[in-house]
Amino acid sequence: MSILKVEQLVCGYHPKYPVIKGLSFSVEDGQFVGVVGPNGSGKTTLLRALIGMVTRSQGSIYVSQYRLENLDRRDLARRIALVPQLMEPVEGFSVEELIMLGRTPYFDRLKFDDKRDRAAVRWAIRELKLQDLKDRPVAELSGGEFQRVAIARALAQQPKVMLLDEPTSHLDIRYQVRICKLLRKLRSRRSIIATFHDLNLASRYCSRLILLKDGELVAAGSPENVVTPENIWKAYRLKVTVRSNPRTRKAKYVLLP
Amino acid sequence: MNKKLNKRQAWLAFLVLMLGLIAVFILSLFFGSVSIAPEKLWQSEIVWQIRLPRVILAGLIGLLLSLSGVILQGVLRNPLADPYILGISAGGAVGAALAISMGGGIVVLGMSSVPIAAFIFSLLAVFIVYKLAKVGGRTAPETLILAGVALSAFCSAILALIIIVSGNLQTIYFWLLGSLAWASWGNVITVAPYALIGAGIVYFYSKELNALLLGEEMAATLGIDVEQVRLILIVVASVMTAAAVSVAGLIGFVGLIVPHWVRLLIGPNHRLLIPIASLSGMLLMILADTLARTMLAPLEIPIGIIMSLIGAPFFLYLLRRRRAPGK
Repeated sequence: MSILKVEQLVCGYHPKYPVIKGLSFSVEDGQFVGVVGPNGSGKTTLLRALIGMVTRSQGSIYVSQYRLENLDRRDLARRIALVPQLMEPVEGFSVEELIMLGRTPYFDRLKFDDKRDRAAVRWAIRELKLQDLKDRPVAELSGGEFQRVAIARALAQQPKVMLLDEPTSHLDIRYQVRICKLLRKLRSRRSIIATFHDLNLASRYCSRLILLKDGELVAAGSPENVVTPENIWKAYRLKVTVRSNPRTRKAKYVLLP
Repeated sequence: MNKKLNKRQAWLAFLVLMLGLIAVFILSLFFGSVSIAPEKLWQSEIVWQIRLPRVILAGLIGLLLSLSGVILQGVLRNPLADPYILGISAGGAVGAALAISMGGGIVVLGMSSVPIAAFIFSLLAVFIVYKLAKVGGRTAPETLILAGVALSAFCSAILALIIIVSGNLQTIYFWLLGSLAWASWGNVITVAPYALIGAGIVYFYSKELNALLLGEEMAATLGIDVEQVRLILIVVASVMTAAAVSVAGLIGFVGLIVPHWVRLLIGPNHRLLIPIASLSGMLLMILADTLARTMLAPLEIPIGIIMSLIGAPFFLYLLRRRRAPGK
């Protein structure tokens, strides 16, 4: 059963100017979906719509079997977590304290971090190998370290779907690969939807790609079916040739001179 | 910058503050413009009828203003927010000035009209600011702060006009400086419920205030109804501040420095921040009021002057510490 289903979605920040113009797709459990497309194609807006932050004018979104609008905020927060493009490091918080904020949807008025919450935080710290950093002030971390903390915070929410807005865009190439490998590993018991600018990176690590242009679907499917010269021409107006990596058999575009 | 305290140390700090508060509370009863022999302290009418309610009132006002500061800095996500940022001081000043110039002696339901007018006008000011800042069904923190600044400017003009027309400069000016000289058991009983209930509600919302540390959008993804929480907490902070302003006038800096100091000490977790800021606010206010009563005795210095004299340099010190490079 699909964990997330989007049907004929039309949404945007102003009813007259929709950013997403009639998009349908579904995400299965355990998929790592990369959303790619040029700037302004609606990648971020799509992620925000999936978590109910953008008003829909048409279409529907299903999370598990529920319609998005029928889930209350806390139920939604226990099912979908967002890692924003730039999260603010909270001054004065340690890594562990920041990750504990991810447990907010499980807190009650006067019941805070109980045994289960602490176990979830410990687990998220282990998954992202943050044990050595857990007592460090978040304000002192490097960009790559902080991105891992941001992902751990979302993971502590124990969501079924994790959304990440350009998780690799501020990182060096070593960290880009590290984060992608991590996400690929994490998808096993949840699905992951992430936007990417780097098509090759997305094609190498994602199990599925969704290519957008101007809020419409150009192509969706496995990376080798999406990353083709025709699709890239349609989306970016760039002439490329596509080669397959001999070892991974993943599609990879190369700019033509 | 030294490392902030861990959780156990923070609760220890809570205990130390609690003991400090009790000590300061008792000691402050000994000081005043009339010297009373320690052994006669408990029989003295002055202690029971004047000093005790005054010290309690000082503590309550310290709590009200510090917690309002904690709330507003949290929901407006602005470290410079203080209890007066949304126009409370300006509204309260206009209300008090109106009541004073119409003859402060008017008594409504057994209370002087000055605190009642100050209370009502404070809340009216926040209401106007909130309405002005509401654009398209939502209120952005920046718009709220700017609307507060605009309304405050407007109110100062009205205040100046009232002073000139009524010729009551001295009385109004003294009210503006803030003082606990009018403290009475009646005041204590009026203000205490605001402090106790307010503190309870704020503590109830510590989860929301913590989530807001990540920003409004992230708080929303954590299941928080940001707009609703902001409205509730602004109302709570405003009523708490208005209660303080109505009996003590405008006392600055408590709501600004106490939250900052406590955050530096124990970090921004509101579950610890709220109780420790409450105690610190009470402690600071009782100390400042004792100074106000005794420094130039028998002349009494308005506590607002003391707070600004201590508060402004201390605030600068905190800022410099925050910026200091190091571990």
